[in-house]
Amino acid sequence: MLLPLLVRQSLCRPQTPVLFLRCVRTLRCDAPQVLHSQDEHFLRRRLPLRFHTQSRGAKSRKRQSKSQEEEWKTRNKTVLTYIVAAGVGMIGLSYAAVPLYRLYCQASGLGGTAVAGHDADLVETMKPVKERVIKITFNADTHASIQWNFRPQQTEIFVVPGETALAFYRARNPTDKPIIGISTYNVVPFEAGQYFNKIQCFCFEEQRLNPHEEVDMPVFFYIDPEFDEDPRMARVDTITLSYTFFEAKEGQKLPLPGYSYN
Amino acid sequence: MSTAMNFGSKSFKPRAPDKGSFPLDHFGECKDFKETFMKCLRDNNFNNSQCRLQSKDYLECRMNHQLMAQEPLEKLGFRDLMDPPPNQADKDAKP
Repeated sequence: MLLPLLVRQSLCRPQTPVLFLRCVRTLRCDAPQVLHSQDEHFLRRRLPLRFHTQSRGAKSRKRQSKSQEEEWKTRNKTVLTYIVAAGVGMIGLSYAAVPLYRLYCQASGLGGTAVAGHDADLVETMKPVKERVIKITFNADTHASIQWNFRPQQTEIFVVPGETALAFYRARNPTDKPIIGISTYNVVPFEAGQYFNKIQCFCFEEQRLNPHEEVDMPVFFYIDPEFDEDPRMARVDTITLSYTFFEAKEGQKLPLPGYSYN
Repeated sequence: MSTAMNFGSKSFKPRAPDKGSFPLDHFGECKDFKETFMKCLRDNNFNNSQCRLQSKDYLECRMNHQLMAQEPLEKLGFRDLMDPPPNQADKDAKP
């Protein structure tokens, strides 16, 4: 019985000697009580130590996890920045694609766009290619709602590239009220359309016909001399020019077609 | 016009005329010139090269009657039809 006491006393020793004295004094009085108090003290002494170790470990673990968390946070931020930058880059690219594609089309001639812009000087200086005779056929259409009689005055005409040509259409308004029409045209085959240049015609502008009036509508055009040099046009002998008239509503303004490449 | 959903093949894109639109000849001021031209076409089997003089006359009529903007005929591709200068009167520039 004394032994545990002694042990406890040794534990008590690092503490103040007062405690030791107390230990010795209480030894004689109440043994179980002393033991209990010793036990309590022992436990109290032990527990804080253990808690301290635990807390020390927890703190370091906390610090570790904290630094790890921070590391993750910075990494997340970097990744997020990259993703946002990529998104903005994609949007910018999609906006830039429009003029870039247009430039590319002009350079490569895809999509039936004019390879080179037209210039008025070309008409002045071009030389007719007399060997290549092309037949131009004419077609006239009207939309169902317009009551004009619209037809070409010649079914076909033979031209050569590099030479200006004139052709006529005729339109008649058989009704009793004035009708305003507006027309558009089409050239078949499509690839030949880029060589078909109109100097002046009657399309894309409102044309007003008074009641029972009949007018001649000329088309002044030429085929680009480069038509003869294009290998894709080697077998093209016939080009069809087709006009269609629509009724123009009041205040309606049709935009001129296409982008202005020239 | 091109058929829909045909992205691969080329489609036709109408272009505005270089010098704009002809005003309508409501009063038929140049009708005679047009008739001469059409007659020439019919006589020559619709060969445009033979009738360029008549087409030049028609366009000149239009210009004279304010139905067309005044343009030097060279710009309309009629350089070969222009009268030579007086000191070269022997040469005739008819096609």
